[in-house]
Amino acid sequence: MIGSLDINRLVALSLRTGVSIGAILSLVGLGAWAADGFNAASFAPTSDIYGAIVSGLSGSRTGIVYLGVVVLIATPIFRVALSVAYFGVERDKRYVAVTLLVLAMLIFALVSGKAG
Amino acid sequence: MTVVPIIGPTEVAAVFLVSIAAGLIGALFGLGGGILIIPFLTLVEGIPTEFAVAASIVSVVATSSGSAATYVQDHLTNLRLGMFLEISTVAGAITGAYVSSYFAGPHEWALFVTFGVLLLYAAAVMIIGRKIDYPSDVKPDRLARELKLGGEYKEHGTNVTNHYEVTRTPHTFGISYVAGVVSGLLGVGGGVIKVPTMNLVSRVPVKVASATSNLMIGVTAAASASIYFLRGDVLPSLVAPLTIGVVAGAAVGTRLLRRTPSTKVKLLFAVLLVLVSFYMLRQGVSLYRG
Repeated sequence: MIGSLDINRLVALSLRTGVSIGAILSLVGLGAWAADGFNAASFAPTSDIYGAIVSGLSGSRTGIVYLGVVVLIATPIFRVALSVAYFGVERDKRYVAVTLLVLAMLIFALVSGKAG
Repeated sequence: MTVVPIIGPTEVAAVFLVSIAAGLIGALFGLGGGILIIPFLTLVEGIPTEFAVAASIVSVVATSSGSAATYVQDHLTNLRLGMFLEISTVAGAITGAYVSSYFAGPHEWALFVTFGVLLLYAAAVMIIGRKIDYPSDVKPDRLARELKLGGEYKEHGTNVTNHYEVTRTPHTFGISYVAGVVSGLLGVGGGVIKVPTMNLVSRVPVKVASATSNLMIGVTAAASASIYFLRGDVLPSLVAPLTIGVVAGAAVGTRLLRRTPSTKVKLLFAVLLVLVSFYMLRQGVSLYRG
């Protein structure tokens, strides 16, 4: 059974994990870039985020840092999703709706971002 | 699109060191690091605003999520109030992030001027922001009653439970939209707007206001960060040292600096903010004149 206390613990744990993974991936990417002698070409930004992340899995420096950014951005979004569950358990329909609306806007930002 | 600046080891080292300092100072004065990082990146390093803002907003997500974990366990965050206000703040952040592309290049001066004004405002809050810690006789407005926005929290280290009500909810809801726009446009968390608004307008105790603002900042920043990120404005060589530095600085800061700074120290910091504001405004004016 999910109690409100367990959700708080889960929220705290997921926040810490998200930030740690994000920071570690940034450090790994930065370290690998430094090992390259700070070669600018190996650390270039791209708007092909999906492609960069796929290449990050095979060791691209940009891709590793982007993966870290994705984890960081996903952390508060996951928290909002957990809040939906929290209000669901509390049977608070109004706040399930409020939280779902916030979640929908966050997903809108993710989906529409490329057009900007 | 603006020319991508070349960032080498010297710049990375400078960004890293300044980010640690910004994280530390932010933790001490209850501000995010963004308010100091953006002026450094743009004025000192000469980085175009869209890249500075993009990297900063990602680091804002990191710092606020880091401190949010502590607030959740202290049971200070008002989840209902935070989520309700998040509707307008996230909408504001999305607006800000979209509008920001208009300010790149020839209109960059406007961002410098807006940021300069924000710094002046932050300095004013630092000096005159009288905080209501134990609001009494607060009558909740209709919306607050319907949404059950009131709450309670335990005074740290005691068994005293303080109950509080929320008032003037529509005002705070409206101002939260503005806070979101500022956050999405300038790459700062915007706690400097949210905390005094919740506290002074809606009469929420300052501790609860800070914790709730922190929850909101992470979610708001995630919205605008995704837009900047997918636009390709997040430079790996900038965001990596920035995030690591701010997270490390804030972690050390919250552990070392438990006491609130004295009035004298606050005044000194306000003077620093005014000084930085002067340089941002000057840059804005000189860009405007071309």
